[in-house]
Amino acid sequence: MKSQILRVMIGAAILSAGGPMSSIQAGTAIQEGKPFPDLTLPALEDGRPRSITDLLGQKTILHIFASW
Amino acid sequence: MVGIVLEQHPDRARLFMQWKQMDWPVLVDALNILELRAVPVTILIDEAGIVRSTDPRASDLEVFLSSDLPDRGRPASVAIPPDIQDLKHRSENGDAEVLRAAADSLFLWGTGIDLDTAIDNYHRAINMEPGNGTTHFHLGVTYRKRHESDRRREGDFAQAVEHWSRALEIDPNQYIWRRRIQQFGPRQDKPYPFYDWVETARTEIAARGEMPHSLPVEPVGAEIAHPAGTLDSGSTTCTEPDPESRIERDPGKLIRIEIVTIPSTDPKSASARIHLIMTPITEAGGHWNNEVGPTEVWIHPPSGWEVDRSLLTAPGVKEPVSDETRLVEFEIGPKAGHDRTDITIQGYALYYVCESSSGVCLFRRQDIAITMIYPENSVRSR
Repeated sequence: MKSQILRVMIGAAILSAGGPMSSIQAGTAIQEGKPFPDLTLPALEDGRPRSITDLLGQKTILHIFASW
Repeated sequence: MVGIVLEQHPDRARLFMQWKQMDWPVLVDALNILELRAVPVTILIDEAGIVRSTDPRASDLEVFLSSDLPDRGRPASVAIPPDIQDLKHRSENGDAEVLRAAADSLFLWGTGIDLDTAIDNYHRAINMEPGNGTTHFHLGVTYRKRHESDRRREGDFAQAVEHWSRALEIDPNQYIWRRRIQQFGPRQDKPYPFYDWVETARTEIAARGEMPHSLPVEPVGAEIAHPAGTLDSGSTTCTEPDPESRIERDPGKLIRIEIVTIPSTDPKSASARIHLIMTPITEAGGHWNNEVGPTEVWIHPPSGWEVDRSLLTAPGVKEPVSDETRLVEFEIGPKAGHDRTDITIQGYALYYVCESSSGVCLFRRQDIAITMIYPENSVRSR
């Protein structure tokens, strides 16, 4: 059930966020088998700094999108 | 579930998430520091922070969820933004990479005045590495951010477009960079409408009894325009307001008019969207007078060219006098069978303006000349 719910969430998120394609540029820091880059970026909710590692530590589905 | 949004205006992403009822934590990467080429992207990351899949299918998700790596819990860490003064000090003698990293941090964490330093740093980095598309893109994002702030300087938006265009010339396969130009560009170059969903989102959120998140910068004009295969010049049959040139001139002493040309990202296309940004020069006393009529702009396309609208209107506000910035946009392209050539577009703005907030109010005309030059791969304007 949990996997079914997550599949629906992924599908909904991808369909909702628009954009024509999914593409990781070869040679960027995001590579299978390697740690996700540890970045500190502003949180959307309040603009405060949040580290990516703050949000990891358990199985994570990371969805990178734009509203346009 | 965690998100990262690649967007110049994160407030719009907040509204979008509220609309779609997406309630997971999201970080903002306005500069595309991750250097993605397109979105959306879904990535599976395991408990150890290792990327397990960058393009998962449903079967990949099943395997990912059923794998039995131990849950180590979230590491305790506190994200601390860089010390701004330390960044400024280290960037004084830094190489291009140090300068860009410092500028990125000033963009992310600094206050308004830090945008000026960020822009200086990016320029210094570009002087060292003129072929670095990423630096050009970041500089464009920063110029646009300053353009939308209370520290706006004349030319900021044009500089943003200039550097986004330069970035795309360096790497034409970077679709995030391409989309940033298309967001403000001609309808013939748009893959889809960018922000036409905003009003629907507000309506549906309100219907749920919620207050829609506010947007400090409203998407207008090109940002909500729908794609079009051709230039629709059907609305050009209107009456020129001052054909005999009888209205007295304002030589630019009361109202400043900035011209920003957004070319098509298709180098074979000659279409462009022209943004005219009109701002009262308040230090000289200039104020809009809103008691009579709106601001109008008349455009004369040169022979062999057509525009989507010859007469543009920028409405006023309720107050009798005001000093807000007014924006009108139009699109231009060559008529069928006509070659693209360097051109100058003539036009003029007509406006009711006061010489101070309580002074004499006048009806004035300011002539406009927009020059479009087509170098091999891009259009430049003066």
